[in-house]
Amino acid sequence: MSFGAVFRPRVLAVVGASATGVNPGNEFIRHTRALGYDGRLVPIHPHAASVEGLPAAKSFADVGETVDFAYIAVGAPQVPDLIASAAGKVRYAQVMSSGFGELAEGRALEQRLVEAARSAGVRVLGPNCLGVYSPRGRVSFIGGASPEPGPVGVITQSGGLGVDIILRGQNRGLRYSGLVTLGNSADVGPAEVVEYFLGDPDTGVIGLYAEDIKDGRAFFRALRAARGAKPVVVLLGGQTSQGRSAAASHTGSLASGAEIWRGLARQTGIAMTRTLDEFLDVLLAFQTLAPRGTRPTRRCVLFGNGGGTSVLAADAFGSRGLEVVPMPEPAIAALVALKLPPGTSVVNPIDAPAYTLRQEDGRIAERILDIVLQHGAPDAIVMHINLPVFTASTIQGADFLQNLVDAAIRATARHPGRAHFVLVLRSDGSEAVERRRREFREKAVKQGIPVHDEMAAAADALAGVAFHERFLSSRR
Amino acid sequence: MKPELKQIFLQARAAGRSVLDEPAAKRVLAAYGLPVPRGVTVVPGQKPALEGLRGPFAAKLISPDASHKSDAGGVRLGLADAAAAVAAVREMEALSKMKNLRLDGVLVEEMAPAGIELMVGGLIDPRFGPVLMLGLGGVFVEIFGDTAFRVCPIDRLDAEEMIDDLRGAPLLRGARGRAPVDKSRIVGALLAVGGEAGLLMELEGELAELDINPLIVAPEAATACDARIVLARKAAE
Repeated sequence: MSFGAVFRPRVLAVVGASATGVNPGNEFIRHTRALGYDGRLVPIHPHAASVEGLPAAKSFADVGETVDFAYIAVGAPQVPDLIASAAGKVRYAQVMSSGFGELAEGRALEQRLVEAARSAGVRVLGPNCLGVYSPRGRVSFIGGASPEPGPVGVITQSGGLGVDIILRGQNRGLRYSGLVTLGNSADVGPAEVVEYFLGDPDTGVIGLYAEDIKDGRAFFRALRAARGAKPVVVLLGGQTSQGRSAAASHTGSLASGAEIWRGLARQTGIAMTRTLDEFLDVLLAFQTLAPRGTRPTRRCVLFGNGGGTSVLAADAFGSRGLEVVPMPEPAIAALVALKLPPGTSVVNPIDAPAYTLRQEDGRIAERILDIVLQHGAPDAIVMHINLPVFTASTIQGADFLQNLVDAAIRATARHPGRAHFVLVLRSDGSEAVERRRREFREKAVKQGIPVHDEMAAAADALAGVAFHERFLSSRR
Repeated sequence: MKPELKQIFLQARAAGRSVLDEPAAKRVLAAYGLPVPRGVTVVPGQKPALEGLRGPFAAKLISPDASHKSDAGGVRLGLADAAAAVAAVREMEALSKMKNLRLDGVLVEEMAPAGIELMVGGLIDPRFGPVLMLGLGGVFVEIFGDTAFRVCPIDRLDAEEMIDDLRGAPLLRGARGRAPVDKSRIVGALLAVGGEAGLLMELEGELAELDINPLIVAPEAATACDARIVLARKAAE
């Protein structure tokens, strides 16, 4: 199935936008135009000559050419007939309206919608969702979404969570090839869009938020056939309530959705996550780092300021199955030879207090990282900086933070493919520090360095990468 | 599906059963290459034909009213010889009369060689279709829920990883002075149940759930000592 028309529609129709007020249809038109949509955008309105300043058509038939993508925001009871009228005139219709299968009293209506779609030959996304976001196609259902495209393709069964994924995600550095909200997934299911993203050259990593995958078998088959060709990150909702009500066997009583997903992840290499933040962190890791099937991530070297932070980080990494063990002797000897100030520990974690990191105006970090990369045999290096320690200090002889971040970027660029490099920039939440973190994050992510807020988040992200890498190494 | 298996499911449905009895379930397992104990079903009132079988024996009640037969006192294990087995058969016949249970017969089987007890199960999930389970037997599965699931069909590597995923896997590898278990026998059983041409894939329309509990893994064999097959609500066309 090609969803190209969904993510790059040439003719886009919006049904339900008001000629006078503002409803979700109007919002879709406004946000899509703000993103610079350059195809034909046609509001469908029974009476008005124009909507949002655009000439309106009275019906799909009135458009005069095939509509690639119709955004439908009218009351649920009108939708089945509207879809029937789209036969031969509309390729994809996204029904954002609610009042279907998510309510007991809407199930019959959803059935009618599905039947109308099948006989009209129209593929329906939704109902009960929010829309599509596609930076390349210049389409968006929310404001403030970045026009800059990237490699992350997302499918979400919740529209609201889609908003979080787009907006919070882009502030973390995520850039999308496309995001589609599927709501009740009455017709098009997540498996079909996963297949599309697997074949889409613009998509490098796939994210899925799922509550109920009705086409689970197709999903399994598609991922099984892909053999980990693209990383897939999954966040599941509603698993605890899905007990198997009437099991007649021991096996049936032991089986839960979560247990089956755990097994499926082992069979397909998909990275399972537990929270929205972890989902975004793992996606960012896959956006920036190239998974290695030849050498799955195991040994991590941690380097930065904050003794307790280093200790807690080593615990967090250990609990996610990542090793923080002493580096080989040559690495330690070379670090000792740097004659770093007392109080610096060079074994691993490399605990370098602020006064150590200020050596050579911060450029010392480059020499330390060079040694670790050359002699430390790391699978991954995580450099962490507690930003307010520097911003709040009276020592301001140089822009130490800028120099530290630049040193990290230079050192990693010098040793390509040697180790995954991850930056953790810790903040106190103050405006000044947040601003700097944003600058650093933008710069680093552009260089292929993921930036996380905390060490535990970096551990989660690398654990996701490591899981996928172990899968690749076992299946190739 | 083999015609004789189709027949087993048809007969059970015709009799209004929702579960296959143990001898029928074991015929299904055997058809997919899973070793089951040698044995005979003793029809009520008839003389047990135990010639050619070697003790020790197990005797089990077959009754549609006691599908959890051990709860009903319908399982006797470690019966030393034919005489003890015959006595057990008579006791169970009396027991069924006393408890007013319909009696289809008593299954007398050779005891499987001692080994580590595993549980192999399957179910047809409404979303994912046939799903396979491996559990470490006894308290491990009962109390700790030590299980690994996979969506079918599985391949050999999936089967090996299922074994490794069990928290109790070190026991199978020979922890605490136990003899290590021959992993290939477990892999073979898992593939027979959950593989490409395995039981769950082929019988997806006929059955809803499957328990093999225990699968006893000894150095010389992995034997399905008890089996329960819950029928699908509606048979496949």
